[in-house]
Amino acid sequence: MRGPPARHPNDDAREQLPAPEGIIGAADELKPGDRVVYPNQGVCAVVGWEVKDIAGQKLELVRMTREEDGAAVMVPKGKVPSIGLRRVATGAQMEGVFHYLGAVYDDPELDWKIRHRDNADRLIAGGVLGVAEVVKGLHSLSRLRPLPTKEREQYDNARHLLVHEVSVSLGVPPGLAEDYIDYALMPPAGVKFDLKPPPAPVPLPSRPKKRRVVEEAEEGDLGLGDLGLGDLGIDLEGALEGAEVPGAEAEGAEGAEGADAGEGEAAGAEGVEPVPGVEEAAPEELPEAEEPVAEEEPEELPVRATRAAKPARAAEKPAKVEKPEKPEKAAEKKAARPAKAKKAEPEKPARAEKHAEKPAARKAATEKPAPAKKAAAKKPPAPKKAPAKKPAAEKPAAKRGGKKK
Amino acid sequence: MIRVVTLDPVDPTDMAALIRTLYQAFGLGTEYAGEKPVPAEAEGKDGRLDAITLLREVEPVRTFADDKVLYIAGSPLSLPPGPLGEPPCWGFADYGKERAVITTAKLPARGVTEASIETYRRRLAREAIHAIGHLWDLHHCVDARCAMHPSWSPSLAANPDSDLCTFCREKSERKIRLAKT
Repeated sequence: MRGPPARHPNDDAREQLPAPEGIIGAADELKPGDRVVYPNQGVCAVVGWEVKDIAGQKLELVRMTREEDGAAVMVPKGKVPSIGLRRVATGAQMEGVFHYLGAVYDDPELDWKIRHRDNADRLIAGGVLGVAEVVKGLHSLSRLRPLPTKEREQYDNARHLLVHEVSVSLGVPPGLAEDYIDYALMPPAGVKFDLKPPPAPVPLPSRPKKRRVVEEAEEGDLGLGDLGLGDLGIDLEGALEGAEVPGAEAEGAEGAEGADAGEGEAAGAEGVEPVPGVEEAAPEELPEAEEPVAEEEPEELPVRATRAAKPARAAEKPAKVEKPEKPEKAAEKKAARPAKAKKAEPEKPARAEKHAEKPAARKAATEKPAPAKKAAAKKPPAPKKAPAKKPAAEKPAAKRGGKKK
Repeated sequence: MIRVVTLDPVDPTDMAALIRTLYQAFGLGTEYAGEKPVPAEAEGKDGRLDAITLLREVEPVRTFADDKVLYIAGSPLSLPPGPLGEPPCWGFADYGKERAVITTAKLPARGVTEASIETYRRRLAREAIHAIGHLWDLHHCVDARCAMHPSWSPSLAANPDSDLCTFCREKSERKIRLAKT
């Protein structure tokens, strides 16, 4: 038996779950006097058929009365299979529900989003056992901590539905049905039930479990570009030189980031802008260092290529530094990775302006980073060590230093 | 309006305290409507009164729309057994309707000391509020300090409060407001 048809147009792709027992597949199955359960509404009695003229259309409607308060419910005949109408639970089903309620259950879902969504699904399509699961789950949760208002309401609604269905199914007054339910849920001290194995839980649509996994993956992807170190042009080349293994590239880059940023800090925060002296200091490393940068930002390649008439070194550096390109970069990065790019981007123009205004400071910058870069360039083992040791620990320090400036 | 009817004699001072508490709990006028006989049909073989039959057969009192009637019996009450056995019965209410019954048989002994009488009154008030709460569509509450928490629950305090929790109070007030319209 198939589950209820999709409620929303996009739901077609969702997996079809087995329907709860007794679901009504067609309006023809209903007869006046039948008692059915309308999901989230309760037990209704079928009154008969009606044809109504609504918005110029003649609709054939099934007229029902909610037993609880006598409210009229009218459902178009064609909609009967899709709303999840089902027959009132049988005695055997009800016994299973009570054995489920009486079972020890101390593992409520603690993630409120998942819990709330699952409970809503159960109430709509889970049948009487689904409603019992909601009651049982929220009841066990309430023993651990007070329920939030929304869930307290959900619990009350679920209990209301369950009480009335038990009442109709067993033919007892609702007050007594509630006593039965609570006797199973919280038996008096010293009472132990001889329980049968409870029925299988209601299957729910599978959903992605946690978002964290995705975030971790994103973090792994971020690599160099996020900290804006590619733009700083400090020791990137030296650091990446050692990253020979393609698989270790990202790690190497990260480690180098930390190491280089640290050195950059030590050398002085002024060493942000590229300086001719610095470029000359490590000319051989540039072509190698260019590769990962190009891999990260393939969209920029055409821009660089247009300027590549000059020698490779000269062509690359301006591309890193040039201010007009930065907004483009920022836009591209934003589109790719929204979270970290935001932090890194806005600071760059400010820094650049500062340096433009202070030629003296600029001079200092030209002098200071040079030894640092040289040192980094002369240390071939440094990047090899970096991937293993430095990545996580030194990143924040580098960021903090950058902000202080 | 809440009308209290006794099926067995109750101390007038206890009754006065109960009426005062009910008035405070629901904000509705409460009065003592006299004593009525226990219907013979409700008497079981084991000396207990069948709560459902009792409510069905008991002599009615004059009521108006939305009036609630609370019967207080001295004998223990019984309920038909359910799928997992017979639940203990401290009282029974026609959910959302107008009649409820509670028993004083399960309450702590009244005694003669001030403390024991106070304990007895508090527990009597709690059971009365619980039963009338059912008449105002309240379900059992998960909060062990609420008067709507099941009376047999192991997490209930030895001398429980006779107050409704916020959720139950608001719900009952909403229902009462709607009923008054």
